[in-house]
Amino acid sequence: MKQLLSKADPYRPFKIEILERRQEVKDTFTLKLDVPLKHDPGQFVQLSIPGIGECPISISSYSSSFLELTIHEIGMVTNTLSKLKKGDTIFVRGPYGKGYPMKETKGKNLVLIGGGCGVAPLKGVVSYLDKHRHDYGTIDLFFGYRSPEHILFKDEMPTWKELYKLNVSVDKAPTGGCYTGNVGFITQLLEKSQLSPQRNAAMLCGPPVMMKFCIDILQKKGFHEDQIYISAERLMYCAFGECCHCMIKGKFTCLDGPVFRYDQIKEDLNEEH
Amino acid sequence: MAVYVLKKGDLEKFLLFLGKQGELIAPVKKDEVRFEPLKDPTDLYLDEQTYIPAKQYFFPQEQVLFTFQDDMIIPVVAPIKKRIFFGLRRCDLAAIQHQDIAFGEHNDPHYKKLRKSTILIGYQCTKKLHHWCFCGSMDLPDFYDLMFFEQEHHYQIDVGSAQGETLLKKSKLCRKTVVRISKEQKIVPDTNLLQRKDLGKHYSSKAWDSLVKKCISCAACTTLCPTCYCHEIKDDVPVSLKEVQRKRTWSSCQLKEFSGVAGNYTFRESRSSRFKHRIFHQLQYFREKHGVDLCVGCGRCIKHCPPRIDFIKVINKL
Repeated sequence: MKQLLSKADPYRPFKIEILERRQEVKDTFTLKLDVPLKHDPGQFVQLSIPGIGECPISISSYSSSFLELTIHEIGMVTNTLSKLKKGDTIFVRGPYGKGYPMKETKGKNLVLIGGGCGVAPLKGVVSYLDKHRHDYGTIDLFFGYRSPEHILFKDEMPTWKELYKLNVSVDKAPTGGCYTGNVGFITQLLEKSQLSPQRNAAMLCGPPVMMKFCIDILQKKGFHEDQIYISAERLMYCAFGECCHCMIKGKFTCLDGPVFRYDQIKEDLNEEH
Repeated sequence: MAVYVLKKGDLEKFLLFLGKQGELIAPVKKDEVRFEPLKDPTDLYLDEQTYIPAKQYFFPQEQVLFTFQDDMIIPVVAPIKKRIFFGLRRCDLAAIQHQDIAFGEHNDPHYKKLRKSTILIGYQCTKKLHHWCFCGSMDLPDFYDLMFFEQEHHYQIDVGSAQGETLLKKSKLCRKTVVRISKEQKIVPDTNLLQRKDLGKHYSSKAWDSLVKKCISCAACTTLCPTCYCHEIKDDVPVSLKEVQRKRTWSSCQLKEFSGVAGNYTFRESRSSRFKHRIFHQLQYFREKHGVDLCVGCGRCIKHCPPRIDFIKVINKL
């Protein structure tokens, strides 16, 4: 297990080979990289293609032999990354940031709530839990997607159903399609659930508006702000607190986050807009 | 530390001497007053604040970090020449110290490379250089190798470092004196304009509104600021296509793109949130982290602001 961080030049990335490229859904793919990276679930790396640029990507695996990154094709770098195939090389540096508090939540029941490609870092948490299942109580997963064709990690779902309480919902489903699962925002399933705040911690990642409504529901169910952890997204270049693009008021998303305990970031998020 | 004396008439000789010790960079009046290599000592211009600060010499507007050649990373190797800066004001000097903190925290080799082998020679203002100078509010430190204090017929030179004193001795133009620089000499009259306070509680204050409305997001403030160090990283491909340069360039928190993410979402969408972000970074966030304000009170961001947004007035009213 190693880390891809250069002491001589913090901007210097490392050349890494792509072991596998999987198309997850139409606009999202996973790159499996040949690097056993020492990291925490929820941390991220900086991925780059020379000549195109660099961007931060959350780690969606937890393994001692490889690294997986699930990437949404949405910007210049990610669109170019999607064209790479097995055997190609990319440049990586990291891991960076503070991940989800797996040690602090040991012994607790966990609620994981993800929306769209925000499920990717939570998949890293789930992979961690697979390996440390006995350290935690009940685990509820709430994953929401835009439509049936946007559902990520379908192959993992049978295992997740067996080990955890898996709840999946799509915002909209075409009438007459073969999808038979839940339709509606993930908040509806969350609202209906019998979650108790006792000995519980919630970990969220998704679009800001989705997280906001989920937090409202959690609070109605009695969750305190310090039981809720959210992963924030910001533009960032350096990833180690120098370029200042990712600042949320005085806090650095790349250093103090991307995972923040909600009570420690709430006011800053609300106030800054 | 020791104090030396240089006769006013010997300043040109001293500058010529400095020019032989390394590249001498000092304020020169061209289209604007700026720090430039001083070819002729008579070009030295000390009557105004430089429009452009010395920042670019350590943190250039564009700097190649390394290049990719056939998937190999090649560091930039350039000979480091000794540079001597003359005529830095107390605010300019403090700005360099604050950038040392910002880049030093990460042991940034690209900044360090340009920052080492420099000698900083300051020039104490005896009066404020423009209406918005507020260095007197900022508790600026003594951060220099040498500092010039103008007297009627001579300069008193306060020694700030051993390499500064070595330089003075080598010049054979200065003599040591028992006179000491007084505290009063280090303070510029009428520059204590800003009432410093904990801004943390005042982010949402309505007092900002009328002022912030005037901002046109031109980014003059961040560009001319001697301490603003926010930057971005981008790749450049020369026409030859043989190598890719990974570059660091200045960026401005006053522009929307600064906080925009893929998918066309901007976190600091409103102009007021962007304006306040800079003020808070300068006068609150940096201090929370490093114990010292990033701002040095040079006032360039007010003087050169097209709608002349005087945030000092607002902060004082909070």
